[in-house]
This record gives sequence, C-alpha cells and structure tokens, in this order.
Amino acid sequence: MNAAAHYFVMGMESEATQIARGLRRRDPDLLDRLIEQYQHRLLRYLVYLCGSRELAEDLFQETWIRVLERGHQYDGKHDFSTWLYAVARNLTFDYLRKKRPVSLDSAMEDEDHAPMEPADSRPLASETVAHHEQAERINAAMTGIPAEYRETIVLRFHEGLALEEIATVTNTKLGTVKSRLYRGMNMLMSRLKGARG
Amino acid sequence: MTPNAHEEARNLIALGDSVSQAEYAGIRAHLDVCADCRQYAETAQQVARSMRAIPIAADRTLVRTTQMRVRARAEQLRQRRERLLLVTFSCALVAISSALSTAVVWKGFEWLGRWTQLPSPAWQAGFVLFWIAPTLAASLLFLAHGTYLSSNGRTRQ
Repeated sequence: MNAAAHYFVMGMESEATQIARGLRRRDPDLLDRLIEQYQHRLLRYLVYLCGSRELAEDLFQETWIRVLERGHQYDGKHDFSTWLYAVARNLTFDYLRKKRPVSLDSAMEDEDHAPMEPADSRPLASETVAHHEQAERINAAMTGIPAEYRETIVLRFHEGLALEEIATVTNTKLGTVKSRLYRGMNMLMSRLKGARG
Repeated sequence: MTPNAHEEARNLIALGDSVSQAEYAGIRAHLDVCADCRQYAETAQQVARSMRAIPIAADRTLVRTTQMRVRARAEQLRQRRERLLLVTFSCALVAISSALSTAVVWKGFEWLGRWTQLPSPAWQAGFVLFWIAPTLAASLLFLAHGTYLSSNGRTRQ
C-alpha cells in the first residue's frame, strides 16, 4: 500500500472511530455535523427507496433519531454511510410493513400511492435541458422496477457504494447484489428504450 | 460467439467500475467485436452518469427541523438516564441501609424479649410484624385509594 493510500485508509479509520465515539456519547454537535454532511445523500436514497418525497422527509428525520438512539451499535469498523443507509433501510421497510401488510413492491405499485417525485425543480446553472430530460426519463423508468433492484442501482450509481458495502447495507450476499444490479440495469434500460421508442 | 459471452459481458458492464483489470480487458475485447453490447455499455454509462446528475436535495428547513428534533431527543434521553441513575443509586442506598438496620433492630428486639422475658418466637414475630408494617400500611392505603377512585368513576391522571 503506498503512502497516500495508507494515509487515506488511516484517515477514514480514525474518522469512523471518532464518529463511533461521538455516537456513544450522543454528542449533539457531532450529530448536527453528520446531518449536514449526509443530508442530500440520505434523502436521495430514501426518496428512491420509498417512492415519495414527503414520506422520505419523515423517514429522514426518524433515521437521525434512530441514529441518536442506537448510535452505540455503530462499531466504527465500516464507513459511517454504510451503517446510516442500513438504519434508513430498516426503518423504511419497518414503516412500509406496518403501514401496509403487503410486500414493499406492491405497496409502491398502488395506484393511489404518490408517484416518485421528479428531481428538485430548482434549476441548476450547470444543468442542460437534455440532462434534465434524461434525468426525468430515468426517474420515471426507476418507478417501474422492483424495489430491491432499484435500491441496488441507487446505492451503486447514485451513491457510489462498493458492491461489498451494498451487500452490508442490504444484508445480502455479494452474488445477490451483482445479480440484482444486472437484472435491475436490464430492466431500467429496457424501460428507457420502451419510453423512447 | 455464444449467448453466454454477451450475458457475461453485460453482467460485468452492469457492475460499473467494480471489475478487475482482467475482466475489464475481457469486456473491451468483447465490445470491439459486438455492436449490441457496445450499445448496451454506452447506455449503461449514460444512465449511470445521468443518475449522478439527478438533483434531489434536502432543504434547509428539513435539516434544521431534524437537528432540533435530534437535540430535543438527546436532551430527553440524557434526563431519562439521569433519572435512572438516581433511582439506581437510591435503590442501592436503601438496600445497604436496610441490611445494616435489620441487624441493629434484630438485636434490639432480642434485648427487649429478654428484658420482658418473652419466649423467642414471640419477639421474633414482633420483629417480622414491625418490619413489614410500613409496607402493609402503604399497600392498604393504595388499595383504599384505588377502591375510592373506581367507585367514584375516576381514574388516576
């Protein structure tokens, strides 16, 4: 391992350890900082996972409350974001299971269920119209694929998690993650092709 | 070219940059000769790029509200922990003092029994009664209070 990589790994380890120590103490300043740091990533994940921005915002708050309450369970051995996504995921699945005693997918495919909201409407200077349209198309196509595939795709391509990290978050085997990614991408691309054609 | 080769290549393409050098070289070689998979790879790349560009952002109000709720909950938990510590400490104190005072009171009853020339079972029964009298009195009081409330159709707040 070269010096830069070693420094990076050590830096990550010490940050995770610091977070773990702060969470055990229930340090409110640390939690404020973490909320700021992970706000967009967590919300994005929740929006894709539950399919509604309003519900995602509720779950966003509940996730941080749970992080506070169960912070002692974070051991600092993994990256904090991996643990955070796992907390958010469990909370979302618990909520949807209680709300509707059916599978997550069928719950999301209810006709009266609010469709996944498109991206934040505030325009960004750097965004081109073509980019925006493509994003909208992807958003629409994502709603149609099963939740476990959607989740895997979001964690891989949106959040940039490694396959092993996705396996930890979703509590599945690496092979399952790979096959979900493959099938999910196939579904997504066939839906995009269908929408275009 | 077997259908397996296409499937294998597409499988690896779907993994994004999580492939080894050898796998990457294999994909490149396959893409050089297969237009369909090349098209698939381009679309996959485009999808991955576009996904990263989708702006879903948390607004300030949500972040502030969350921070405030977390702080309030942290304060609640801190107070609960303090109360629990206080109760634990009080229980320990009560246990120690009752263990010490039992011996003293026992000696007192023994001395009183000898002085009044009572048989041992008599002063021992007196000791037990003395020891459980406060608990009995409190239980009777609570029972009477509960009966009074229920007979008057009220509940404790």
